[in-house]
Amino acid sequence: MENRVEYWVKIPIGPIHPALEEPEKFIITLDGERIVNVDVKLGYNLRGVEWIGMRRNYIQILYLAERMCGICSFSHNYTYSRAVEEMAGIEVPERAEYIRVIIGELERIHSHLLNLGVVGHAIGYDTVLHLSWLARERVMDILEAIGGNRVNYAMNTIGGVRRDIEDKHKRAILEMIKYYREEVMPKVEEVFLYDPTVEARLRDAGVIPKRIAIEYSAQGPTARGSGVEKDARYNEQLGVYPDLGIKPITPKEFTGIIKGDMFDRMVVRVGELWQSMELIERALDQMPEGKIKAFPKDNIALVRLKKAEGEGIGRYEAPRGELIHYVMANPGSEIPERWKMREPTFPNLFAVARALVGEQLADVPVAIASIDPCLSCTDRVAVIDAKTGKKKVLTEKDLLKASIEKTREINPNIKAKPEPVGGTCGGVRL
Amino acid sequence: MNIAYLTLGLIAIYLYVSFVSLIWEGVDRKLVARMQRRIGPPVLQPIYDFLKLVSKESIIPRDANKFFEIAPVLALASSIALLAYTPLGFEPLLATKGDVIVFIYLLALIAFVRVMGAVSSGSPYAQIGAQREIIMLASREVPMMLGLFAILWRLSKLGVEKPFSLGTFYQYNIWEIGTPLTVFGTFVLFIVFLLWLASEIEVGYFNIPEAETEVAEGPMAEYSGRHLALFKLSSALKEFASASLVVAIFFPWGISGYLGLTGIGAVVLDLLFHTLKVFIVLFVSMSVFRAITGRLRITQAVGMFWGRILPMSFIGVLLIVIDVLGVIA
Repeated sequence: MENRVEYWVKIPIGPIHPALEEPEKFIITLDGERIVNVDVKLGYNLRGVEWIGMRRNYIQILYLAERMCGICSFSHNYTYSRAVEEMAGIEVPERAEYIRVIIGELERIHSHLLNLGVVGHAIGYDTVLHLSWLARERVMDILEAIGGNRVNYAMNTIGGVRRDIEDKHKRAILEMIKYYREEVMPKVEEVFLYDPTVEARLRDAGVIPKRIAIEYSAQGPTARGSGVEKDARYNEQLGVYPDLGIKPITPKEFTGIIKGDMFDRMVVRVGELWQSMELIERALDQMPEGKIKAFPKDNIALVRLKKAEGEGIGRYEAPRGELIHYVMANPGSEIPERWKMREPTFPNLFAVARALVGEQLADVPVAIASIDPCLSCTDRVAVIDAKTGKKKVLTEKDLLKASIEKTREINPNIKAKPEPVGGTCGGVRL
Repeated sequence: MNIAYLTLGLIAIYLYVSFVSLIWEGVDRKLVARMQRRIGPPVLQPIYDFLKLVSKESIIPRDANKFFEIAPVLALASSIALLAYTPLGFEPLLATKGDVIVFIYLLALIAFVRVMGAVSSGSPYAQIGAQREIIMLASREVPMMLGLFAILWRLSKLGVEKPFSLGTFYQYNIWEIGTPLTVFGTFVLFIVFLLWLASEIEVGYFNIPEAETEVAEGPMAEYSGRHLALFKLSSALKEFASASLVVAIFFPWGISGYLGLTGIGAVVLDLLFHTLKVFIVLFVSMSVFRAITGRLRITQAVGMFWGRILPMSFIGVLLIVIDVLGVIA
């Protein structure tokens, strides 16, 4: 094998490349058209969100969290709100929880329709792109009618939601669901379950086996496409979701077989479109009357949060997978001590990079699109030496050393001394 | 005197076909846009694009060699030469005994020059695009040539002087023979030719060498400005010439004969009618095909050519052969 190295070509996909929506870099080693190795480089989209967050109060962070991502703006500020509510022990009115479900599922519909189009474009099937994005306009209009904005709806606040869903919104949503059920979904199913081109390109390519999905901790549709029944809404019995009859969607219910390839990931998305519509309908039915927020004014919430202690973790199934926000209180201050998030794209990227080895170059854009990457959420940390301006890559050992130091600093009583687990990451021994 | 007329004729044809093929690009974009529920660019957009590109600076990569700059000129020169051998509703300008072979040769030459230019650019994307282009070229020529020569052979049985000439199609029409086996065989070959045409102009399933999302326009990755404009024009000409071949084989009828026109008027009318037929063939093979399919992997496309289209071509040819040799009477 070694003496063939000279015929291998290394080509960069990214940071700027027509296949990618956001800057990220894949260095692909090719033997002809076959992929030998994939190396993922991140960090082209760093905006220092956590750093900015450490200079904002709890309410201001809501609007910052919303702007972390252009698609799952609701997911981020919902997850952040959940983390803060858990931290301060705030009860959210039931009606607010239902409104959150409705907005969250509307967002899932628009995100999945967007991804269906992107995958269509990646295989050069532009008609799918244009038609599915045309269909997406309808749900964007609804979101604009409810939240006043197409992307950043600013629905959440600490302890509830900021706007109510009125009868006119309810009518518009039901009309939209009818339109999707009757006109859009049959066509979407026709394309993503039965079209020969789509099947030829997506079937048996970019396979993430169940074992790899579990080992790399793949999230969302990527994990469910590989047959891992993982859905934070179901596993965590999140909010009012259990009352709405949530269950994880796997491709088994549609095609009867789980292969873990790109096709299965798209089937999961199509299934979740159906599921989201059902959830919205049930939520609209069951929604009780009552208050929509725990605090009438934001400054009352801030006073309450100033007294809060401890930490909180919020989890939510964003359209791309499980999103986790961690908030640590700083008693006596309006500004949290620490705000940290884990995005689903990060584990998914490495899982898909692993899956690409042995496939063809033609599969790279499709496989990347099939996990629906969101890099603006993922890139948050870059370690740069202030004097030399050089970027530094931290290994597991460095990170462990740093975290042990920080733990000692916070609580000198802890005596445990963890060892590095080891393992590889993108071909580099940690 | 004769040479002067020929040169004038070629220049006239070149100007006409350049204009018409760029217009077709615009019409195609508009039609596909309507199929995709978009508005689409103005019909004249490719002409604006061409003029804009010509006026722009051309960036030469540091790693490129001299051939990088020569390739676009050679590609356009081959395309213009191709026009002299293209049937355009009348016999090709430089009709000879074996112009079919020259036609196929020039078509392959354009692709070859593109590949050479891409390899000279020093970009890895262009290298991969060039590899793909060569693989596609090797796969698509076989079924096409098999079908083309079978049809020419069938026509030569009717007693033509120059069996390897494109003029044959204007003397006899393959559908005229009328026996069921030939008609059916020709129909099969027609489908083969439509698929070949789609792969020649690289759309739909066969948009593999220039795959935008995979290799960033492949062979064209490093070209810009004037050089890109020349390539764009040459591929537009190639598109028109390839479609002209299909039209000449399967729909050679002119209308000037019915109207009783002769001389220059007949030539112009036949040319216009031919253009219309080319547009219809391109509409099926390019616009519709592009709108309803996505791109295949290179292995799948090659498999399709050798595993599906070549056997299909064989079936068409066998039907014609059986008809001629009278195995089943």
